[in-house]
Amino acid sequence: MKRILPFIIILIVLALALGSAWYLTRSVPSAPTVVGQQASPQQSPGAQTTPVQQLGPFNAGIPGADPPHTHGQASAPAHLEEFGDFECPPCGAFHPILKQMEQEFGDKLHVTFREFPLVPTHQHALAAASAAEAAGLQGKFWEMHDLLYDRQTAWKTQFDVRSVFEGYAKEIGIDVERYKRDVGSDLVQQRIFQDGKRGHSLGVKGTPTVFLNGREVPFEQLQADQLRVVIQREIEAKK
Amino acid sequence: MKKVYIPAALLSLLGLVDALYLTVEHLTGETVRCTILSGCSEVLSSRYAVVAGFPLASIGAVAYFTVFSLATLAAFGYRAAGTLLTPILSAMFVVSLWLIYLQAFVIREFCQYCLFSAAITSALLLLVVIGRFVLKPASV
Repeated sequence: MKRILPFIIILIVLALALGSAWYLTRSVPSAPTVVGQQASPQQSPGAQTTPVQQLGPFNAGIPGADPPHTHGQASAPAHLEEFGDFECPPCGAFHPILKQMEQEFGDKLHVTFREFPLVPTHQHALAAASAAEAAGLQGKFWEMHDLLYDRQTAWKTQFDVRSVFEGYAKEIGIDVERYKRDVGSDLVQQRIFQDGKRGHSLGVKGTPTVFLNGREVPFEQLQADQLRVVIQREIEAKK
Repeated sequence: MKKVYIPAALLSLLGLVDALYLTVEHLTGETVRCTILSGCSEVLSSRYAVVAGFPLASIGAVAYFTVFSLATLAAFGYRAAGTLLTPILSAMFVVSLWLIYLQAFVIREFCQYCLFSAAITSALLLLVVIGRFVLKPASV
């Protein structure tokens, strides 16, 4: 008995390990999906690598910063709200996907961006959110938003990002002196805080978190091919 | 000598749980999302997190299970299993050093679960080396 006991112990541990791994991943429909390792834009519309899951339950949450930063028409059948952090790599990877969706769906898709800087996980996240909000006070939020995501890898490793963001402010053509005053203002901080409060009221735990018509899109669905299907389904439902 | 292998088996179980957790998180996509509590997304969404199509964490889980099996067999008197532990743990330790280097100087972000795994591997190697080469067989 003593000779086979270690083998029994090993088999029990193996069964427990495989069983728990299977139990915890059984809701995952297929191979690992990493935002940033997305299906190529050339993939045919509607093509799916994994089945589209149901969206989460509807949740109105508390209001965020007002007015919000939006793209598209308010009458659009699909309202997408993203909680993002400019320093977060998956958010940076999601940025071109969302751009692609906006191009494809045009006036049928309305996009809102909410600040959700992950402090202290990301050392420059709050500074980046402040830079975007300060640019927003001069009507150039989306220009700064795009620049921050497009150049995320360039600034996230910098020690002092203040001068980098001031350079971006100059590049998008806003009044840099006013930007410098606004970036640390109560108004800017209040807007970020208000968006964060809205995120927490909706149960946002990480970024990017995306809601479509008030229902959370599962993280693994934030790929171009699957998000396209999810948005299309929402548009069809509104007809 | 056998007594060293019991804590080694228990330690490797901790490593196995850590690696399994990371594998599950990788497969469900959760660790690649940035969260308030974890800086793992940068590390686990990097190109180094997948080797030959497999999540690196799953390879770690296999390695820890191998160490657990060998330590358990060694604890029950299978001497050959104990002999195999040192080279395997040495290889795991070298890989851990490489991964720490990647986190520190290439990705420039640290994942606490990866650091925990490196600590477990280091402790395992230390334990087995002390058991094999420092302590006399009769006293261990």
